Amino acid sequence: MDLRDFYSRLSVDESLAEVMGYNPYYQKIDSGLNARILVNGHEMIDLASNNYLGLAADNRVKQAAMEAIKKYGVSLCGTPIATGYIDLFQRLEKKLSHFVGLEETIILPSCYQANNGLFNCIAGPKDLIIVDRLVHSSLIEGIKSTGSKIRPFLHNNLEHLEGILQRSIGYRQVFVVTESVFSTEGSIAPFKEIVQLCEKYEAMPIIDDSHGIGVLGKSGRGILEEQRIAGYRGIYTASLGKAIANSGGMISGEKKLINYLKYYCSHLVYSTALTPAVLAGISEVLDIIHSEFSEIKEKLINKQRQIYKALLEGGFKVVSSEAPINSIQTGSKEATFILNRKLYEKGILSTPFIEPAVPINEGRVRLIASVSLSQDTVDEAVAIIKRIGHS
Amino acid sequence: MKMEDRIIMTIQSVLDKRPVITLDSHLLEDLRVDSLDKLMILSALEDEFAITISEDDFADVVTIKDIVMKLKGRGFFAGGTAPI
Ligand SMILES: Cc1ncc(COP(=O)(O)O)c(C=O)c1O
Repeated sequence: MDLRDFYSRLSVDESLAEVMGYNPYYQKIDSGLNARILVNGHEMIDLASNNYLGLAADNRVKQAAMEAIKKYGVSLCGTPIATGYIDLFQRLEKKLSHFVGLEETIILPSCYQANNGLFNCIAGPKDLIIVDRLVHSSLIEGIKSTGSKIRPFLHNNLEHLEGILQRSIGYRQVFVVTESVFSTEGSIAPFKEIVQLCEKYEAMPIIDDSHGIGVLGKSGRGILEEQRIAGYRGIYTASLGKAIANSGGMISGEKKLINYLKYYCSHLVYSTALTPAVLAGISEVLDIIHSEFSEIKEKLINKQRQIYKALLEGGFKVVSSEAPINSIQTGSKEATFILNRKLYEKGILSTPFIEPAVPINEGRVRLIASVSLSQDTVDEAVAIIKRIGHS
Repeated sequence: MKMEDRIIMTIQSVLDKRPVITLDSHLLEDLRVDSLDKLMILSALEDEFAITISEDDFADVVTIKDIVMKLKGRGFFAGGTAPI
């Protein structure tokens, strides 16, 4: 192999960043997620992280993580099937199962890994996977690894989904895959209806609740609670790095499924277990949600609304959302970068989405107002947004 | 309805928010079709014409006309004509 050829094939298209004189990716953060954050040494307002409930730098969560380190050290240096399965891990599996109301749970190092690893354990070439057109890349990659027939349906479109289900004859198994909150849009899936369609056509529903867990439902238990889906018999995955403010990914469902994955999901079996600090951090966050969710949620909605109003007043094309996400429709990737840069220059960190993270020419700039923002900070963000809108 | 029109109509139904499709439309340049869109197009055509298409068959299509040619040429339709 010619090494020069090899490396020359690995070029990254940075033309857009060069033209703009600005690259929004891999910005260096010099602080934790406090009321203000430090980005490249400058104080900024964080409207970019997924720290919805503002618990990532909460003192109680930090304390719990430190206690765990004191007791167990920083790592058990083993996968869950070996030395990684400490009592904290086992208790957290139970706690998470109870939290989302499902029988059993496994915990992986990330939800990306969970979504990548799940599908080839349960599906193969004789199966059909029907998937919402806008799902996260981790699901798409997992689905593609199965060799199953893949049929995307139009985003949140029940009619299109039912049409496909009606014509899905002759497969060994049929799966329907979607997300609860689509985080680039803030749209929420009509999951209750999707589950009903799955029952009618004997398909297995799979939901990724990464942006719903800790946010949706009257006590923060996610999409199943929000849409009052009782006796869910499908599969559930979620990230523990967003509202749950730590890291990791969970897969929950019936005992039979989880027990199978415990032995056959290589993404779990062959990867070092989450560390004690993280396990304890997640557990503490669940306790805080249990006792304070309604107050925290009220603050979250309040901050989101203030930003939403400012965006409307600034004349931005903003998607109205039931989730605590503000998504500005910017269109082309150039326009997306320009708005993201303007916000950055005025002191707001936001998240730009361009293809392939979103369909081509459907660029978005996303703003999430975490509960950790003080009212002063929100006021300042509001003023900046209006000023940019009117300029 | 002519087969070409039926194909265009079927494709248009799954490409929402896109410009009007003609035989000369380029999937990538004009319609901005990505890999999931492509799967959606294939599924829609399978349903419309009650046929089975594999992804590999359509790996090299560039325009809508190419899709029409493929469907006609590969004998997807009995006797080379659409079962209309
Ligand atoms: C819907 C969805 N699923 C999965 C993931 C991946 O989760 P994790 O960061 O835990 O790997 C993300 C984002 O990170 C996501 O938005």
